[in-house]
Amino acid sequence: MAALAASAAAAPPAPVGIGIEGVHKSFGAVHALVDINIGVRAGEFLALIGPSGCGKTTLLKSIAGLIPIDSGRITVGERVVTGPGPECSVVFQDFALMPWATVQHNVEFGLLLRGVPAKERAETARRAIAKVGLGGSFEYAYPSQLSGGMQQRVGLARALAVNPQVLLMDEPFASIDEQTRRVFQDDLLRLWSAERKTVVLVTHSMEEAIYLSDRVVVLSPRPGRVHQVLDVPLPRPRESGDVRATADFARMVDGLWQVLRKLQ
Amino acid sequence: MVIALRTASLVVFLLLWEWAARVPISFNFPTPWATFTALIELVWSGALLQASLTSLQSLALGFGAAVLLGVPFGLVMGVVRPIGRVARIYLDLLIALPTAALIPLVILSFGISILSSAVIVFVFCAPFVTMNAYGGVRDMRPRLVEMARSFGASWGQLFARIVLPSALPMILAGLRLGLSRAFLGLIVAELLLSPFGLGRLIMDSRSMFEHDRMFATVLWTLLLSGAALAGLARLEGRLLRWRM
Repeated sequence: MAALAASAAAAPPAPVGIGIEGVHKSFGAVHALVDINIGVRAGEFLALIGPSGCGKTTLLKSIAGLIPIDSGRITVGERVVTGPGPECSVVFQDFALMPWATVQHNVEFGLLLRGVPAKERAETARRAIAKVGLGGSFEYAYPSQLSGGMQQRVGLARALAVNPQVLLMDEPFASIDEQTRRVFQDDLLRLWSAERKTVVLVTHSMEEAIYLSDRVVVLSPRPGRVHQVLDVPLPRPRESGDVRATADFARMVDGLWQVLRKLQ
Repeated sequence: MVIALRTASLVVFLLLWEWAARVPISFNFPTPWATFTALIELVWSGALLQASLTSLQSLALGFGAAVLLGVPFGLVMGVVRPIGRVARIYLDLLIALPTAALIPLVILSFGISILSSAVIVFVFCAPFVTMNAYGGVRDMRPRLVEMARSFGASWGQLFARIVLPSALPMILAGLRLGLSRAFLGLIVAELLLSPFGLGRLIMDSRSMFEHDRMFATVLWTLLLSGAALAGLARLEGRLLRWRM
C-alpha cells in the first residue's frame, strides 16, 4: 500500500511511442538491418522475434542509442535518437550487474549517473527493489550471492529506478530457468499494467512473445528485414488467468511457428 | 586446524635449520638460536632500525613512484588500445631484463645515493605494477560499459564507475607482486652499490665473518617484507569484500 502511494506520488510520465523509419545498418559487408519500418504505440508491449542473425538485438540497441544507424530515423517520443536518452532503460540478457556493488548500489546506478542526491537515490532504489519483489533483505547482498532470476530482478529494478517511459529488454529471461521465468513474466505483466510503459522485448521464445505482447514483429535474417507483424488479440490481464492453457494461445503460438519455420 | 599446521610447519622448519647448522654444512652456518640472539642484539643496538629506516626510504620512493606512475599509465594503456599495444612490448622487455646488470649504469647516472637504490627499486617493480593495471582494464566486461552508456554515462563517469572498479582486483594483485619485487630490488641495489641500509649491514657482517648477524639481517628483511605484504593483503580484502 505504501509502495503504491509512493509510486503515485512519483507521477509516472505518460508513455511515448517509438518511430523506426527506413533504418539501415551494416557491419562491414553484413547487412544487419535493411529498411526497417516499425511504429511502436505509446504504452504498447511489442516483441521482436526471429532466427539468430536477424538483427533483433541490433535494432534494440539502435533504439537505445547504443549503436549508431547508417541511415533512416529512430524517434522516441519527440526525440530523434542520436545516442542514449533519459526516456529509455535497457534490461540485458546477462543482467550486466556490477559485481563489486551491492543490490542497492546497482539499482541506484542510473540515478547516480544522473546526479540524483544520495538520499533521494536510496529511497527511489529501495522502492524499485520492492517493486520487483526483492525488498526487505537483499539490498546489501552482492550479485554473486543471488540466483539468476533474482539478478535479473535487480537488472529490472535498476531499469525502473530512473522511471523511464520506454523499457528495452534484450532476451531478459533467456538465461533463467523455466519455472522462475514464468513467475517473472507474470510479475513483469503486472508491473507493465500498473506503470504503463512502452516495452520492446527481444526474445527467441515464441510462447514468451505471444504471452507477453500486443504485437509480434518477425524479422528475417541476412539481411535483417521486417518479415511480418502479428497482432496478439488475447484478452488482458493475462497474468491472473490461465491463458497458456487456452486454445487461442496454442493457435497463436502455432501461427507464429508457421511463420518462423519458413525462415530457418 | 590451520593454526596447528602453521605452528607445526614452523617447528619442523626450525628443527631442520638447527640440524643443518649442527651437521655442519659449513661451520659458518649459524644455528637458529645464534641468529635469534644476533637479531635481538641488532635491534637493541639500534643498528637494525637505523638501517631499516634508510632502506625503507629508498623502498618508499621507488615503490611509491612505481604505483603513482605505473597504475595510471597501465590504465591509459588499457583504455587507449594503440598505446597499450606499443607500450606492452617495452614492458615485456623490461620484465625479461636482467635488471641487476643495469645497476652500474644507474650508479653512474645517479651517484651513490638513496636515489640510486630508489631508481633500482622502481625498475624492479614498475613493469609489474603497470602490466597488471593494463591487464585489469583489458579483462573488463564490455557489457558493463554498454550498461553505463545506456544510462547516459559520460567518459569520466565510465572511467571512475566502471573501468576503475573492474580493474581494481588486478591492480591490487599487481601492487602485491610489485612490493615483493621492490624488496628484492632494494636488497640487490644495496648489496651492489650503496654504503648504507640493510644491504650494507648484510655486507659488513659477511666481511667480518659474523654470519649470525648476516642471517639475522636477512631474517629481519624477510619479516619487514612479510609485514608489508600482509598489510597490502588486508587492504585488498577490505576493498574486494564482494569477492569473499
